[in-house]
Amino acid sequence: MKDMTDQVKEIATKLLESGQVDVFMAWEKGDAPHQSKPFFARNVADVEKIIFDEYCIHNLSTYLTRFRDGKEKIAIVVKGCDSRGVVRMLEDHQMKRDRLHIIGINCPGMKDPLEAMKQHSGFERETGEKGLAIKCLQCMQPNPVIYDESLGEIQEPHFKGERFTEVKALEAMSSEERYQFFSEVLSTCIRCYACRQVCVACNCRTCIFDEAKPQWVGRETSVGDNFMYHIVRAFHMAGRCIECGECERVCPVNIPLMLINRKLIKDVDHYFGPYDAGMAYVEGGKPPLSLYKIDDPDDFI
Amino acid sequence: MHKNSSENPLVPQIVEVVKIIDETPDVKTFYVRDESGVPFNVMPGQLAMVSMLPIGEGMFSVSWQEEQDHLEFAIKSVGLMTSEIHRIEVGQKLGVRGPYGNGFPVEKCKGKDMLFIGGGIGLAPLRSFIKYCFKHREDYGKIQIIYGSRSYADLCFKEELFELWPREKDSETFVTIDKPEEGWEGNVGFVPAYLEQLNPDPANKIAVICGPPIMIKFVLQSLEKMGYQDEQIITTLEMRMKCGIGKCGRCNIGSEYICLDGPVFDLAQLRQLPPEW
Amino acid sequence: MKILKKNQLDTLWERLARNAELYLPTQKGDQSGFFSYKTLKPEKDTLMLDALNVYLSPKNIVLPQTEMMYSFTHQGQEINLEEVYEDPTPRIIFGLRSCDVKSIDRLDTVFFTRGFVDEYYRSRRENTLLILNACYHPGPNCFCEAMGLSPRESESADIILHDAGEEGYIWVANTEKGRELTGNIEDILEEKEISYPQPRPFTREVDYTGVAEKLKDMFSHPIWHPLSDPCINCGICTYVCPNCYCFDIQVKTRGEEGYRYRCWDSCMYGEYTMMAGGHNPRETGMERFRNRFLHKLEFFTERYGEPLCTGCGRCIAVCPTGINIIEIMEKAKGVEPSA
Ligand code: SF4
Ligand code: SF4
Ligand code: SF4
Ligand code: SF4
Ligand code: SF4
Ligand code: FES
Repeated sequence: MKDMTDQVKEIATKLLESGQVDVFMAWEKGDAPHQSKPFFARNVADVEKIIFDEYCIHNLSTYLTRFRDGKEKIAIVVKGCDSRGVVRMLEDHQMKRDRLHIIGINCPGMKDPLEAMKQHSGFERETGEKGLAIKCLQCMQPNPVIYDESLGEIQEPHFKGERFTEVKALEAMSSEERYQFFSEVLSTCIRCYACRQVCVACNCRTCIFDEAKPQWVGRETSVGDNFMYHIVRAFHMAGRCIECGECERVCPVNIPLMLINRKLIKDVDHYFGPYDAGMAYVEGGKPPLSLYKIDDPDDFI
Repeated sequence: MHKNSSENPLVPQIVEVVKIIDETPDVKTFYVRDESGVPFNVMPGQLAMVSMLPIGEGMFSVSWQEEQDHLEFAIKSVGLMTSEIHRIEVGQKLGVRGPYGNGFPVEKCKGKDMLFIGGGIGLAPLRSFIKYCFKHREDYGKIQIIYGSRSYADLCFKEELFELWPREKDSETFVTIDKPEEGWEGNVGFVPAYLEQLNPDPANKIAVICGPPIMIKFVLQSLEKMGYQDEQIITTLEMRMKCGIGKCGRCNIGSEYICLDGPVFDLAQLRQLPPEW
Repeated sequence: MKILKKNQLDTLWERLARNAELYLPTQKGDQSGFFSYKTLKPEKDTLMLDALNVYLSPKNIVLPQTEMMYSFTHQGQEINLEEVYEDPTPRIIFGLRSCDVKSIDRLDTVFFTRGFVDEYYRSRRENTLLILNACYHPGPNCFCEAMGLSPRESESADIILHDAGEEGYIWVANTEKGRELTGNIEDILEEKEISYPQPRPFTREVDYTGVAEKLKDMFSHPIWHPLSDPCINCGICTYVCPNCYCFDIQVKTRGEEGYRYRCWDSCMYGEYTMMAGGHNPRETGMERFRNRFLHKLEFFTERYGEPLCTGCGRCIAVCPTGINIIEIMEKAKGVEPSA
C-alpha cells in the first residue's frame, strides 16, 4: 500500500498548501511496526508522517466531534465503514457537509493493531500471525458511501455468509437462557466506557451515563448496573449504529457488543425498514427511530 | 466490622441540624451538632464533607465553629445534593466527616492588618477567619472587609455585615452590590472596582480573597497594581472533591491535592502550580 | 536453597487456600487477570505463570474496582450507620511480577502516608501476602528497570520465586511474613543447590532520568496537542494500570436502606473534575490526557519521590489508539522546553 500512502500524501499536500483545509485527518506510524495511529496533519510539514497501511483500522469519523464547534475545514480519509460514520455525523448535525473534504479509500480489509500489540505483548499464549480483523471479515460495505475523491479499486465485501446467524441463535434461546447468557457475558464488563468513547453514534454532548443529577445509571461493576448500562446503550444505538465494529474491537474484555448491535440492526430493519444506518447521505435524512410514522408497528410495546 | 468507627476517616459521624437560617434566596446556613456538641474541632478555612446519606456528599468550608456547641455551614444551592439539603428541616440527621485541609494561616497573620475581600458565597469561608480575628481581637491589627454580591437579597450574613461587624473595634465593613436597587444607599459596582476606589494601603497587611473565579482574577490584578506582594495575598481554591484525605486523586492541581494541601494558598505558592486554577 | 518442584504447585495451592484467599494469574475465558483459586475451572481456565503477565493487574485485590464502604438506614429525619465494611480476609497473591509488586508499594505510599490512613485499603493490604515470580524474560513493552526497580528483586515481596525450568522454582523467603508462611509449608519444599536462570536483556532502552524535571516546564507546551490527538479518553490505560488509584464515592439506596461504595475512576473522564455548578477545570480531552502523563511522570514524583509508573507495559499493549508512554517520555525529552 506504499502507493496508497503516496496518493494520500499528495492530496494532503495539495489541500493543506492551498489552504482548502485546515486539518487533514489520516494516520501515522505508531511506535511498533504493527501499529498505526490516528494523526491530524495541520500543515504541509506534517504531511511526511502520513501513512496508509493495513493497520489503519480506526474509524476517524468519531474524531469529527472534536471540531464540531469550530469553523475549520477538515479533510478526512475514510474506509467504507468510516464513511458510514461520516453520514452518521452529518445526519446527527454534528458536522456540516461543506466543512468536509472526504477522501474515500476502497478498503481491502485491515488488520487490528490492537490485536497485534497484544500478540506481541508477551501476555498472550497463542502468538500466531493474525489475519484480517474480525470487523473487516464481517464488513458489508468496504467501499465508501460518501466521498469527494476516491482511491483504489472497488472491493468485494469479505463477508459472504448469512448476516444474522448469531442473532438468530440468540433469538432462539428461551428467555431464561438468554438472561443467563447476558448475565454471564456482561458480568465481566469493567465499565470503562471505551465502547462509548470510540463510537461515532455516541456523539451526545453530555452522555446520560455521565449525568449526575439525577444519576441514571450507577457506577458499580455489578450485574445490575452493568445490565442497565448495556440496555441503555443498546436503546441509543438502535437505528444509529453504522456497524463499524470499533466498540467490540476496543473493548478490553471482549464483550460481544456487535451481537447486541446486530440484533438491533435486524429489528430496526424488520420493523421500520428496510434500513441500514449510514448507507447514503440525503440532506435532512434521519434514522427511522428519530421519525414517527403513523403506521409504525407498536405490537411489541 | 464495627459501628460508626471514628478511626475510619471515610466514615461520617451522624449529627443533627439544630437551626437553619435563610441567608439569601439560594443560600442557607445550617447549624449541626451531635449529643455532645461539635463532632470535631475545625480551624478557620478548613473543610468538612457533609452527607445527605441517601443522596450524596459535598465538601463545604465550615463557616464557623461556635465553641464546643455546633458547626455552621453556609450552603448555596447549585447541584443535586445542595438543592436537596435546602429542603430539609430542623431535626434532620446528616453525616459529617472532617476536618480537612490546611485552613487559613491564623498564626502567620498575627500582628498584621487584615483585608478580607469576598464575593457572593465566598464570604462563607472568609467569615470563619473574620470571626476568629474578632474573637482574638488583640492578635490582629485593623480589620477591613470588602464584600459584594449581585443584589441586596444576595448578600449573605446580613446581620453581621450591617450590625455586628461595623461595631467591632478598629474595623471597617464595605458592602457593594452589582446594580443599583431601590432603597440601597451603599456602593454600587463590582468588587475589584470598589477595592481600587477604597485603595487600602498594603503596608503590614494581608489580603484574603474568596469568591467566584472571575472576581478572584480581577481582584488579584487590582491588588498587584496597588503594590501588594504575592506573599501578602491569600486565597482559596476549589476543585471537585470526593475523599477529602488526599487519596481519591481528583482534586489535584499539579502535585498538590487541594483537599489536603489546600484549599488555602498564598499567591506565591499558586504561581508555582500549573495554571489550572 | 529451597526448591519448589513444579509438580508440587497444586499441593501448595491447595494448602495455601485453606487459610487464605489465593489468587493466581489466569486466563479465564476472555479475561486475563488474577483470579481466586477457588473459582478456577481446570478444564476451562489456563494458568499464566509462564506468560509475561496478565492484562488485569492485581490492584483489584487490594483496591477492588467496586468496594462497599458502609451501610445505613434512614427513615424520616433519622439516619443510622449500620455496618462499616473493612475486609481483613487473609489473602495471598501468587506469581506477581516485580512491576506489580512495586505498584502495590506505590499504592501503600498513597494510602498509608500524608496525614491520613485509608482504613479500607489498610485492612486488605495488611492481610495480603505477595509471592513474586521473578522476571527473566522481559517483554517488548517492559521498562521496569528504567522506572527504578529490579525485575528480580523486591523489598516488599514476601516470597520470591525464581523459575529454574525443569528444576522447579527457587523459593526465597524475603520478609518475616514470608518466613512464617515458609515454615508452614516446608514439607513441600526440597533442599537442593541449583543455579539461578540467566536473565535476558531488556529489548527497549528507556531513560526516565530528567523527565520529571523536564516536564515541570512543559505544562503549557504545544506538544500536548499532537500527542493527545489520537486519544479517545477511554480510560482503559488507567484501569489496567496497576498504579492508578483514583476512585469515586457513590451511593446506592433501596427504600430505607442504602450503602456507600467506592469504585475506580479515571482522570481521563470528563466527569472526573466536573464541579457541582457545571464548571470543569479540565474541559478538553487534551487537558485530561496531559494530567495522566504529568501525574505519572512528574506530579507523583514531586510529591512522593518516585514516578507513578512501574513500567509494566500494559497501557502500551491495550491502548486502542496506539498511545505509548515510552514515546511520550522520549518526545518530552526531545523538544525545546518552552515554546
Ligand atoms: S455501536 Fe459500535 S459498531 Fe456501531 S457505530 Fe458505534 S462503535 Fe461502530
Ligand atoms: S463493554 Fe467493554 S468497552 Fe464497553 S464499558 Fe464494558 S468493558 Fe468497557
Ligand atoms: S487507552 Fe489510549 S485512547 Fe484510551 S484513554 Fe488511554 S491513552 Fe487514551
Ligand atoms: S503507566 Fe502503563 S506502563 Fe506504567 S505502570 Fe501503568 S500500565 Fe504499566
Ligand atoms: S493517572 Fe489519572 S487515573 Fe491514574 S492515578 Fe493519576 S490521576 Fe488517577
Ligand atoms: S478529594 Fe480525594 S484527593 Fe482530594
